[in-house]
Amino acid sequence: MNNKTTAVFYDGNSSVPQQIELSLNKLNATLEFRISDGAYYKWLIKEVVFDKRATGLHLKHGSDIVQHIKIEDADFIDAVHHFRKENGHISWYQKLLDLGFAAHFGIAVVIMALIGLSYLYAIPWVAEKSVVLIPEEYDNKLGDSAWAGNEYFMNVDSKKTKLLNDFAKQLNLQNTKKLKFIVVKSAEINAFALPDGSIVVFTGILEEMKNYDELVGLLGHEASHVNNRHSMKMLCRSLSGYLFISVILGDANGIMATIGDNVNSFQSLSFSREFEHQADADGFKILLVNKVNPQGMSNLFKRLKQNNFVSIPEFLSSHPVTENRIEFIDKMIKNQKFQKVNHPQLESLFAELKQ
Amino acid sequence: MEKSLEKRVEYALNYNGTGSDYFGIVIVNWLLTVVTLGIYYPWAKAKQLQYIYNSTSLNEDSFEFHGTGKEMFKGFLKAVLVFMVLYGVLGLFMYLKMPITALLLFYVLLIAVFPIAIHGSYRYRMSRSSWRGIRFGYRGDRKEFTLLFFKWIFFTIITLGIYGPWMAMNMRNYLLGNVRFGDVEFEYNGDGTDYFALNIKGYLLTIITFGIYGFWWQKELFEYYVNNLSLNREGGKIRFNSTATGGDFFKLIVVNLLILIFTLGLGYAWVVTRTLKFVFEHVEAEGNINLDALTQTEENYKDATGEDLSDFLNLDTIM
Repeated sequence: MNNKTTAVFYDGNSSVPQQIELSLNKLNATLEFRISDGAYYKWLIKEVVFDKRATGLHLKHGSDIVQHIKIEDADFIDAVHHFRKENGHISWYQKLLDLGFAAHFGIAVVIMALIGLSYLYAIPWVAEKSVVLIPEEYDNKLGDSAWAGNEYFMNVDSKKTKLLNDFAKQLNLQNTKKLKFIVVKSAEINAFALPDGSIVVFTGILEEMKNYDELVGLLGHEASHVNNRHSMKMLCRSLSGYLFISVILGDANGIMATIGDNVNSFQSLSFSREFEHQADADGFKILLVNKVNPQGMSNLFKRLKQNNFVSIPEFLSSHPVTENRIEFIDKMIKNQKFQKVNHPQLESLFAELKQ
Repeated sequence: MEKSLEKRVEYALNYNGTGSDYFGIVIVNWLLTVVTLGIYYPWAKAKQLQYIYNSTSLNEDSFEFHGTGKEMFKGFLKAVLVFMVLYGVLGLFMYLKMPITALLLFYVLLIAVFPIAIHGSYRYRMSRSSWRGIRFGYRGDRKEFTLLFFKWIFFTIITLGIYGPWMAMNMRNYLLGNVRFGDVEFEYNGDGTDYFALNIKGYLLTIITFGIYGFWWQKELFEYYVNNLSLNREGGKIRFNSTATGGDFFKLIVVNLLILIFTLGLGYAWVVTRTLKFVFEHVEAEGNINLDALTQTEENYKDATGEDLSDFLNLDTIM
């Protein structure tokens, strides 16, 4: 084995290359050389930073004035490497790098799988738990600010608002907090619930309805969103998803973050489907509790689907595909016994609302 | 001195890194970042920069990045403190029911963070970079740069953004003009009017050609960057010249996209490698500065606060 070689030395003060004869002294664990002005150097191998690059092996020594040596002799590089290995000088980081491509690829796949799993299972669980910790007042605040932002653009129909409130008073909506109903003049076929218990119904959707049982179905659906604090859950889940992504992926690798972000929005889409599904099931129960014909809910969906085939109404869009939802309700109608009672009061209020 | 009389020589710039080596570093860093819940990030960043600098060579000798994770971690903590103060001021004035003052102050301070971040990042990055042991350095003045930055931002706002290209060029002239490489001085000769015309032309033609001209626009931007850069030392000069064509850019960008898509992002390391190889293969350097005779002039600067502020503000591309 070769314990001597020629190398290039840079003194840290100028870029003048100096040829040196470098020797490896295994006994003292040093690298030794003499430079042109006669000075003799002994570097303790422990104190040298080694760096294997395409241009050769680079040695750095010193903190303020950093001196450099570049070695190109492959045998000598091997000898130094062996010496450092035998004496345990190789850092754990270097050992990880030396694992090679296959191992790195394996690590990448495992991390991706772990992230996927915790994303699917851990995050929703944490979000669900954290909602319980958030007092209901925050739901109200959230609702207030959402409404305050939109109020100016919405034309509230105060007469119909009163009618709708009277209509809802006749019903048991299984609500835990006070619900407030608002009718907004707009051709848009839409309705939505705010976390503070405000349920906003557009005149556009009222016009589409043919029977009061459809309106009960709609109110039941929206009331379920409020009862289950869906908005807050959604917020918690997308926030924790976002946090997770930026902590784990965001800074490690820009591309990973982009992919993660897309997965996140995709995930919250299917999450909202999950909520819509729950709201449908709960709305159905509310129809049963109030002894209103559950067919109303199915009819409403079918009508909305037929009449608006070009643009799916917003109320239905982000959701389990409408077909599936209709199927789901029809199945429940088939499988469950229910009582229907006439509700003359609801009927007359509904007729007034339609005017 | 005789150096300036030397005949013109070509300098060799190369990127020698490989995708699989860089992949190893990215993945090991990723693993460590995940395991430490993100705390490893500054060290990861240092390792990645070290690899990239070490793999870049000038006349067969590689560059070096001396920054450490520890320095950048300290900088990170200070950067967090800066933002906490910023939001503290906002919160305080909001609490005192002075929302207008609060927002005004907040935005002025936020704008002030940008030049401070850029300045700090340049000082740190340059001081921590070297070649054959000769450090780079940045000699801009923080106060001067901040005042200039406010002036440029002001003009940009009152002209509804039209001043933007002039601002970009003024800034580049100032920043690069203050870069030193030992006793070699950097110089950049950007002109706002030219840059404005170049971008207007690029923008319009890109729209007309449904995006295809975008690659040629990119080529012109790259060329404008490279060809206006020069190095000076005692009357000697090095000039740079881009040899990249629009077709080269087309190939680079499209293949990079395909790699990313088909590897689900894991090909990132190869994309970075290809891009860096591309850059250094398409920059020619020619001149009469003797690189064997540079002397150390720049001091050490180990405060990474600006570097981390820039990271927060996503200013990575400003170089």
